Amino acid sequence: MATDTLVTISLPKEKQSSLDRFLAKGFPTNKWEEWKYTSLKSLNDIEWNWNTSEQSANSAALALENTVEIQTQNGKMTLKGTLPTGVEYLDFASFAAQKPEFMRTFNERNPILDQNSLYDLNDALASSHQVIWVKKGVKLDKPILHTYFASVSIASAIQIKLLIYLEEGSSLTWVDDLASSEDSKSILSNYVQEIWVSKNAHLTFVKTQDFGLSTTHVDHTFINQEDQSLVDMFTFSLNGGLIRNNLHFYVDGEQVVSNLNGLYVPGNNQLVDSHTVVDHRMPNSESNELYKGVLLGNSTGVFNGKIFVRPDAQKTNAFQSCKNVLASDKATMNTKPQLEIWADDVKCSHGTTTGQLSDEALFYMQSRGISQDAAKTLLMLAFVQQVIDKVEIPALKESISNRVVTKIQQALGV
Amino acid sequence: MWFRKIYGFNFAVNYHFKNKRMLSITNLHAQIGEKEILRGINLEVKAGEVHAIMGPNGSGKSTLASVLAGREDYEVTDGSVSFFGKDLLDLAPEERAAEGVFLAFQYPVEIPGVSTTNFMKSAVNEIRKYRGEEPLDAVQFLKMFKEKMAYVNIDQSLLSRSLNEGFSGGEKKRNEIFQMAVLAPKLAILDETDSGLDIDALRIVAEGVNKLKSPDNATIVVTHYQRLLDYIVPDYVHVLYKGRIVKSGTKELALELEEKGYDWIISALVD
Ligand SMILES: Nc1ncnc2c1ncn2[C@@H]1O[C@H](COP(=O)(O)OP(=O)(O)OP(=O)(O)O)[C@@H](O)[C@H]1O
Ligand SMILES: [Mg+2]
Repeated sequence: MATDTLVTISLPKEKQSSLDRFLAKGFPTNKWEEWKYTSLKSLNDIEWNWNTSEQSANSAALALENTVEIQTQNGKMTLKGTLPTGVEYLDFASFAAQKPEFMRTFNERNPILDQNSLYDLNDALASSHQVIWVKKGVKLDKPILHTYFASVSIASAIQIKLLIYLEEGSSLTWVDDLASSEDSKSILSNYVQEIWVSKNAHLTFVKTQDFGLSTTHVDHTFINQEDQSLVDMFTFSLNGGLIRNNLHFYVDGEQVVSNLNGLYVPGNNQLVDSHTVVDHRMPNSESNELYKGVLLGNSTGVFNGKIFVRPDAQKTNAFQSCKNVLASDKATMNTKPQLEIWADDVKCSHGTTTGQLSDEALFYMQSRGISQDAAKTLLMLAFVQQVIDKVEIPALKESISNRVVTKIQQALGV
Repeated sequence: MWFRKIYGFNFAVNYHFKNKRMLSITNLHAQIGEKEILRGINLEVKAGEVHAIMGPNGSGKSTLASVLAGREDYEVTDGSVSFFGKDLLDLAPEERAAEGVFLAFQYPVEIPGVSTTNFMKSAVNEIRKYRGEEPLDAVQFLKMFKEKMAYVNIDQSLLSRSLNEGFSGGEKKRNEIFQMAVLAPKLAILDETDSGLDIDALRIVAEGVNKLKSPDNATIVVTHYQRLLDYIVPDYVHVLYKGRIVKSGTKELALELEEKGYDWIISALVD
């Protein structure tokens, strides 16, 4: 077993108990309800290096002008350049020492960790645990770009943990450019982000995932929101052997707006699993979830969208939509919306669709001279554009759009 | 000598631009599933001509139009169709379009997320590629669209919206004729383009079609109403019934049908 080597590791007490929790459960298998279509069982067959010191080349997948960059290479985080006034980048222990009162609130956050053994594994072994701290009222006009790249010559687990803390009235655009090399040995990329968005704060978060086939990426993004805060979240899953996204929103305030946008375009031998949770714990808030998928080749997609409306969360508006196009007969999509509503005065709606492109639409387009493959491409691009167009950073929007277009065109041979 | 030269010249003009054999449909049979819908259609269309096809609901008019445009749901079981000497049935729908066939749909299809302008840009450039021509650029498109918009009095705002999505019945039909103007087909098949149009729109659309008419192209109009034929005057009128053309005549036939209905034709049939 790959995890055997973990037994011999000795850790400080709290981390040890996290490791013990992981060891008791092991990697998720599809016997676990939350992992029904996404087994990580095969990770047991790999001898993992749990603490790599290999250097990786820089990917430089994305170049955004005038941004401060934080680089993570094989799990090591470095700040490049200088952060604007009012923003700090520091390790978690120093942050905790400076903000004891926040830490008390933070420790009560109570995320849903059912069947999430990899969160424990990360907690035990993360090679970096850093904090981005945006001070009260500070509004950043340029995004902070986090380029995360992995490439190894022996199978390695790469695990980092990040806390993003937005104080009252602040605003931040965070771009997570996650990638790994196509010819790397196996990578288990296990990434935890805990995000706190205080009263009146605004976070825009764009995450792109563009990994090689040998990468299994498990993403835990847990966002707590206070009164009148706004979060625009984007998850673009472009490539990767297996990507599992656990995206949680904890609505701990009133007049909160949470926007969850997702787009996945898995191709041959790729799987993308989006597990989202929106937990409405307080009244008068709103969440909008729009996920779209184009499934190419023999790919697999999973969408599980949970919305909880707790008894106190009256006057909640919660919307969820997940639409998928199967671009080939060999692709599969599994969708499961899960709404649990304990409050009576709420507006909730959800809808999932999975289908092929309409023959009628294709014939109509062909009858105007457009070849069938070009017609398919045109329809699929129109379908995904709705999500891409919401990204307000032109260079980023273009980069995502180009990658999606190229991938779809290549899959269809256009 | 002098006379013969002129005569020869005239003859050549006629040969190339008028009365040139364009479409020949011979004994065409088509079915969907087990159901035979076209049961032996014969029709001859020459350049410069307008043919009207009329007939009761369900007689096979739209099926004929779809088979000509290349819809795969219909299986052609017998017969042949030649278009400028080429076997039309052998071509994919997009190749037929590139060869110059255009179908204005009875029920235009919604294309979510694709605007008419983008749609037409793709269509025009794909057709140009097929013909070995250079693609048009943005400026050329702008100019061309502006010119064609005038034909059917269509608004730019409609062309920027998702194609046919939420369009009114009349807007859809007008948009079909706009597309026809852009693609400038050799053979246009208009399937009930008049239905759903108000009186003014009917006139505008018909005038648009007439402006596009030349000795070089031909039109097949499928309609239920004589009214359209007041504007688009047919050279021939055919009655389709149970998958066959059971009567053909000149434009006077349409007037007669308007007055007397189809019964007198149907009851005169033997089988
Ligand atoms: N996809 C299909 N499946 C089964 N039957 C079909 C299909 N398409 C057409 N038909 C049948 O074929 C026959 C001819 O239909 P078609 O649409 O060609 O008639 P039409 O002459 O255009 O009628 P209308 O005047 O009402 O437009 C009808 O009986 C119709 O129900
Ligand atoms: Mg019809």
